[in-house]
Amino acid sequence: MIDTAVAGTVDQVGDLASSLEAVLFTLNRPVTVLELRDILQAPLSQVEMAAAALAERLSGRGLLLQRHQDQLQLVTDPSQADVVRRVLRPEFPSRLSPAAYETLAIIAYRQPLTRARIEEIRGVNCEAVLESLEEKDLITETGRLEAPGTPRLFGTTIKFLQILGLSSLEELPPLPEAPAASGSTTS
Amino acid sequence: MTADIELEQNPVYLVRSPAFDGPIELLLSLAQRAEVDLKAIQLATLTDDYLRAIERERPPLDRLAAFLVIGARLVQIKAAGLMPQPSSTEEDDLEAWEEAIKGRLAEYKRFKELAESLMRRHATGRFSFAGLFEPEVIPQARVQVSLDALAAAFQQVLDRLPPPEQIAFEMEHISLADKLEELRRLLSGQAETSFTAVFSRARTRLEAVVIFLALLELIRIGEISVVQGSPFAEIKVRARAPQEE
Repeated sequence: MIDTAVAGTVDQVGDLASSLEAVLFTLNRPVTVLELRDILQAPLSQVEMAAAALAERLSGRGLLLQRHQDQLQLVTDPSQADVVRRVLRPEFPSRLSPAAYETLAIIAYRQPLTRARIEEIRGVNCEAVLESLEEKDLITETGRLEAPGTPRLFGTTIKFLQILGLSSLEELPPLPEAPAASGSTTS
Repeated sequence: MTADIELEQNPVYLVRSPAFDGPIELLLSLAQRAEVDLKAIQLATLTDDYLRAIERERPPLDRLAAFLVIGARLVQIKAAGLMPQPSSTEEDDLEAWEEAIKGRLAEYKRFKELAESLMRRHATGRFSFAGLFEPEVIPQARVQVSLDALAAAFQQVLDRLPPPEQIAFEMEHISLADKLEELRRLLSGQAETSFTAVFSRARTRLEAVVIFLALLELIRIGEISVVQGSPFAEIKVRARAPQEE
């Protein structure tokens, strides 16, 4: 009895993963797990399991399931960037300023954080670079700090994952320890 | 403090002042323990005396350095004492501040390296792309013509119009709403018409432009669609039944 119950759950998750794939393909934008719960009419825990199953199924394929906070999006795998670019003719920003990469790195690893904290680390005013990153949809306001003036808190967006071809923030290289050794792993 | 005793046997400098008489090392250790009032000692005078002393006989470099370090600590302690609410933790605060600066520099260095790795990764161009058409913009089904073809067709319409012979100062009043209605009437009589026929009644460039805007608006709100059967074929304008997608 237990075996069939487990098998049934696995099937359900598999079906749900297929539905999830179809929905993400059609909507073609970041979709939150809450939205997916309503669309798929399944509890959040099952949506999460389906997402994990779909991500696994897509490995080695041309598509990638991207995850940022509570958002999911179906995108092309970074390994296919060249061929996709041939059909897209897009005007993607292929380079940002050094200040922009620095600010992005700080936000990516320390999010959510305030502009004051970013400026403390970089030691310079960051208003313009934050504005430009926000305009490019690479960062966004994720909330307000409960402190005098309720300053804005910044975090990265799912677009940030896309310009780096990451499936999630967890794929970022680990934060190096104090005087960092250059990470060259041979695996 | 054993260090005090050792140093006293061969002091870096012997301070001679009304408030304190003795090795400068002792002065520092007393000041650190707040057992001597530095406000009563003029550090400028002390420094001047020292400079005169070393002019007469130059001590080895390590002794000069030692005086500098001790002198700097004394200045630091005295300055801290002059600040409001002096406390014995001021010294610790300074050290903490120093640590914080060092930590911040190390932190910045780490992020700078990460920024470089992000830049390298970005430069490889291995992006992931979202699908091409966003459904909340114009669905593809409504525009089966490339934008280039649409623009080229419109240019041909403009080229066919007589060139403006003189600059007219008379204001033309052509409303978008009127043109929208005209287009709707045109397409209610027939299911399909050609792109050029839509502009057949345009007399001026302004009128053609407004008709074109009306056409785009009707595409946007989903009342019509434009279709090109094959490359370079005449573009057809069709009325769309409601809810047809």
